[in-house]
Amino acid sequence: MSATAPAVIGALFRKELRSFLGNPTGYVFLTLFIVASASAAFLTDSFFSRNLADLATLNRWMPAILMFFVPAVTMGLWADERRSGTDELLLTLPVRDGEVVMGKFLGALGVYTVGLLFSLVNVGVLAYLGDPDAGLMFATYLGYWLMGALFVAVGMVGSMFTGNTTVAFILGSLGCAALVFAGTAPWASAIVGVVLLGALGALLWNIAIGRGAALGALIGAAIGLVLWLGGARLGLGESFIDVFAALGAPAHFDSFGEGVLRLGDILFFVGGTAVALYLCTILISRRHW
Amino acid sequence: MTKQDLSSRSVTIRAENLSKIYGDFAALHSVSFSVRQGTVAAFLGPNGAGKSTTMKILTGYLAPTTGRAEVLGLDPSDPEQRITLARRLGYLPENGPLYGDMTPRETLEFVAQIRGLGKGTKAAVERVVAQCAIDQVMSKPVAKLSKGYRQRVGMAQALLHDPEVLILDEPTSGLDPLQIREVRQLIRELGRSKTILLSTHILSEVEAVASEVIVVGEGRLAFAGTLDELRAGSTVEERFYALMDRKTKKEAA
Repeated sequence: MSATAPAVIGALFRKELRSFLGNPTGYVFLTLFIVASASAAFLTDSFFSRNLADLATLNRWMPAILMFFVPAVTMGLWADERRSGTDELLLTLPVRDGEVVMGKFLGALGVYTVGLLFSLVNVGVLAYLGDPDAGLMFATYLGYWLMGALFVAVGMVGSMFTGNTTVAFILGSLGCAALVFAGTAPWASAIVGVVLLGALGALLWNIAIGRGAALGALIGAAIGLVLWLGGARLGLGESFIDVFAALGAPAHFDSFGEGVLRLGDILFFVGGTAVALYLCTILISRRHW
Repeated sequence: MTKQDLSSRSVTIRAENLSKIYGDFAALHSVSFSVRQGTVAAFLGPNGAGKSTTMKILTGYLAPTTGRAEVLGLDPSDPEQRITLARRLGYLPENGPLYGDMTPRETLEFVAQIRGLGKGTKAAVERVVAQCAIDQVMSKPVAKLSKGYRQRVGMAQALLHDPEVLILDEPTSGLDPLQIREVRQLIRELGRSKTILLSTHILSEVEAVASEVIVVGEGRLAFAGTLDELRAGSTVEERFYALMDRKTKKEAA
């Protein structure tokens, strides 16, 4: 008798969701998120001066709000397991590392989705004040959800590094900040580039050699650091930083905020989430290093 | 149990030259032993001897730096074989780590879901609740339970799927004398049908439950054999201290 992968992932998903929503701290975070998003949407002069029933003002602030809210949800995902020693219990049950990562990711994404659903009150306010476009609202909320999914995965990477939830929060926020500022701040583009090369190194190592992908990740990240600090020119003469400046989350969210669903932007968020989850799987296996 | 009885049984747990090295510290140094089917083996050693590290390797939580482990013919360091092994193995980690916000019932149901017990969950939970005597605390959050009860909930989750092999890291740690007696009785009963490897640093525990003994000190194997061989006309206590002293002298030389 054995559980299928969806059953294992489902059990982990329900455990994470119950753990967060069964805890008063979880409701504090959710309330803060709803208050912050409502404040960003309506407590600005530009909302009333524009006289349009949309969430453009919130769209500008949403990446920054998520940069703090999402790591608060994800900080304990793995850090708590390591601190309490339950990672040993979990990882000696018949579960694969990938199933653990996916179950925890979906649990945290579920919490974020609950927060997002509560924030639909913003749309209710818009409907009260004017006549918001349903398609625009759908696209905007889909964008929020996809961006949140990416940030959840990045926050999980932060939680994988430590047994201290505060450090996990800081690392998660730093990772999300790199994605928020990648288009505008050189340091952020560089962090995104180094992490991506690390993930690429792990993937190539995994394909070519098999076990020990962590070493591939370290080599990839080291190459990224050398390219960044050495000021190397890549491709069409662009610097390392310029290449990864295109990976800023706000720039890829803009189309959703305008009611347009671009395949490239959807792939950016989905692909980024997949890369971060892959890194989580590598990091969870580091107990064998 | 005589040596002849033991030698006729197949090996269920095998460690071959297991080493685990962290930087320049060797937590385990070329440790080899085997445990035969249907026996209770005690893994005896002082704190920091490498008992928990060995158990983590045998359950696939850690990979050895060198050497090879085999449980039920499966390699715990192979990701797919570890999954197959985990379905047939029950493990109580050191200090019985559990989710503090869950009740014992929720804990057991969660483990049952992960193990895919399905419709058999209710009967399995009832069985282990009775075996481990935790019926009075089933609805209390684990964080509010005494260490003894937490340890018993940990035992219950390890027994939930009625495994062929049990690996128990200090199963009587934190229990009061009456609870220790009950757990030892439970281990003896389970030992009639299962292979059990339990770690302990309590010498009387070895005589109370085990037929085979593995002694380690500072990451090295000091003895592996039957309880009678360990005693060898003396007491377990005297022999244990002699083994530890001999090891210390050897290292000093």
